[in-house]
Amino acid sequence: MSRALQRRENIAGYLFMLPSLIFFAGFVIIPMFICILTSLTDANMHDKAMLGNFIGLKNFVELWQDADFLEALRNTFLIVIVSVPAVCAFSLWVGSAIYKMHSAALSAFRCIFYLPVVTGSVAVTVVWKWMYNNYYGIFNYVLKGVGVIDKNINWLGDSKYALWCIILILFTTSVGQPIVLYVSALGNVDQTLVEAAEVDGATDMQAFWRVKWPQMMPTTLYILVITTINSFQCFALIQLLTSGGSGTNTVMYYIYYTAFKLTEQSGHFGYANAMGVILAIFIGALSALQFKLAEEK
Amino acid sequence: MKKILAFLLAAVMVLSLAACGGGASSAPAASTPAASTPQAPAEGGSSAAASEITLWTYPIGDWGKEDAVKALTDAFTAETGIAVKVEYLAYADGDDKVNAAITAGNAPDLVMEGPERLVANWGANGYMVDLSDMLDATDKGEINEAVLSACINAAGECYEYPLVMTAHCMAINLAAFKEAGADGLLDLENHTWTTEDFITAVERLNAQYGDVAAVYCAGQGGDQGTRALVNNLYGGTFTDAAHSKYTWDDPKNVKALEQLASMDGINFDASLAGGDEIALFYQGILKMAFCWNIAQQLNPNAADTGAGLTMNGEEIVFMGFPSEDGKPKLQGGIWGFGVFDNGDEGRIEAAKQFIKYMCDSEHTVDAVKTANYFPVRSAAEGTDLSTIWADNEIMNEYQVLMPYLGDYYQVTTGWAGARTEWWNMLQKVGEGADVATVVAEYAANANAAAG
Repeated sequence: MSRALQRRENIAGYLFMLPSLIFFAGFVIIPMFICILTSLTDANMHDKAMLGNFIGLKNFVELWQDADFLEALRNTFLIVIVSVPAVCAFSLWVGSAIYKMHSAALSAFRCIFYLPVVTGSVAVTVVWKWMYNNYYGIFNYVLKGVGVIDKNINWLGDSKYALWCIILILFTTSVGQPIVLYVSALGNVDQTLVEAAEVDGATDMQAFWRVKWPQMMPTTLYILVITTINSFQCFALIQLLTSGGSGTNTVMYYIYYTAFKLTEQSGHFGYANAMGVILAIFIGALSALQFKLAEEK
Repeated sequence: MKKILAFLLAAVMVLSLAACGGGASSAPAASTPAASTPQAPAEGGSSAAASEITLWTYPIGDWGKEDAVKALTDAFTAETGIAVKVEYLAYADGDDKVNAAITAGNAPDLVMEGPERLVANWGANGYMVDLSDMLDATDKGEINEAVLSACINAAGECYEYPLVMTAHCMAINLAAFKEAGADGLLDLENHTWTTEDFITAVERLNAQYGDVAAVYCAGQGGDQGTRALVNNLYGGTFTDAAHSKYTWDDPKNVKALEQLASMDGINFDASLAGGDEIALFYQGILKMAFCWNIAQQLNPNAADTGAGLTMNGEEIVFMGFPSEDGKPKLQGGIWGFGVFDNGDEGRIEAAKQFIKYMCDSEHTVDAVKTANYFPVRSAAEGTDLSTIWADNEIMNEYQVLMPYLGDYYQVTTGWAGARTEWWNMLQKVGEGADVATVVAEYAANANAAAG
């Protein structure tokens, strides 16, 4: 191919990419830079320009002295630490159990586990809120009925339970996609390698961990990264169920609260953006660590 | 040919993206409320703009219902030629939407709510038009003095032209009270009771039913009820008289909270907000509701199942909050219109015409009745407003509470932050924290945030 022809094709390619690039730059890259810049200012909604005054790292320093932020950060990490391994392990287990099933049964299981994902988060939350209800919720009804508890538990109103209740909902809405991906990854495992291992006397467990698992590593990495990001960004459940109360405040909710509810507080946009930057750093660092570990494998 | 085709394709894609981007670039518009009609741009030529204004209204009685509001705005348009495009806000996220619109320079011309938002927040931050030129001596004589003072700031600027008012109260399930032998503790003629009677009533109802009432604290929704309950029990205050600082660390409030936290049957419930509490009361699960007013009495839980009745048909009685002397200080509710300063005199003038039409003309009767509350003024341009509810037995009876209207302290600086501190504090009290300590801590937070 001549260089002129190559150049023309490149230009055509870039032109086709241009709309997406404009969109990506306008709604991802530029806001990201604005976020980083304003995190170094005391910007708030009452400034006409909304850029505020440069205050250096003051917002970041204050964040580490803000008890509410530290509590939100602690809760966010708890959600990630519990949710990510649980989602991965459960998805792998379910995927392994169903991937060899008859196609009708396999489709049925896929539908069941994927249903909470495609159902709107508000609808899912409304149903869970009803089940958790302190006065007429089904959990209290059943647990009292079988004699496990003698007094209603205020699931979403008691800080001993509220965060765990939210983690449970997050779990049910997070496992659908990993299960589908694991079923697909298990189906793509090279069967000749598995059979060879079995001929050599490998047990089912050995064949799984030594042959299938390494071939599923890219899928696992993707699931880990996506689940980690989703867990870090847990927001809708908190807003709809507890408004950050009962010990369920997370960084994402606190960002929203500071930016849009504390409008009377000076520098609230800058402070919220500083939280956003910290959250992005944590997500980036953890994702990089996961990539690194997977690479070593 | 291929080059032309490639260029055309790229151009089409860019243009289509630009079209999409136009919608998205009004990103605040994505977060603005669903409009009954498309919103006009806030800025533009004054001659064209003056024929069309936008109104954003919170759900203040039937001012939150499209059918009712459309009848009013259609009549206004027929008389003045000014079209009104209405958007309906919810309390859950209405403030976010208005704040996003202000930030984007896309605020509506008119907003309908109370002085805590219009005067103490948006007005204080310079977004509103001073409406004091609309108030002549006659208006000032006709409008309730306390209401007017809540709508005017210390500098004499009026950022809200008031339309209606009410007294927030609580409610009890009379059938349950009778069943528990507690109805004798109520003064059903004056709709008042004492703290001592309240405590006895809760004991009797708790023995009969278990759950009696909830100090709801999942969020700020309906928090006027919990504030009034705590303040009234032993005569505490929420702010000082000058509205310059939060005083809810008053020992009388600490005593009230300790009393409530110690009572079986009263749940400090962090899973409920005001609306949830009303629903549980309506369903008959709770026997008292602290989040109540005349709109709820007329249509409990907005369920259209009969005025003053629970879902099961049991009689609901509205009551003042219990106090030591049986004379409550009730939290007032004031609602009216404010005008956002969008820099267009034509639109501001049209907005003022709308306010004059709704709040001070022969049409005020309809505007007030749509809100299901009481008029803030005795007359409007010669039309007597004092008897507009004469044909409504419940509204008439409810007026017995109006003399108990207390201080309208919601205009204190830092109000939004203080509300958050309040419900978070109630959650801590409910979890068993030392009441005096958490009350002092959260009141200090509110004062610190208020500056």
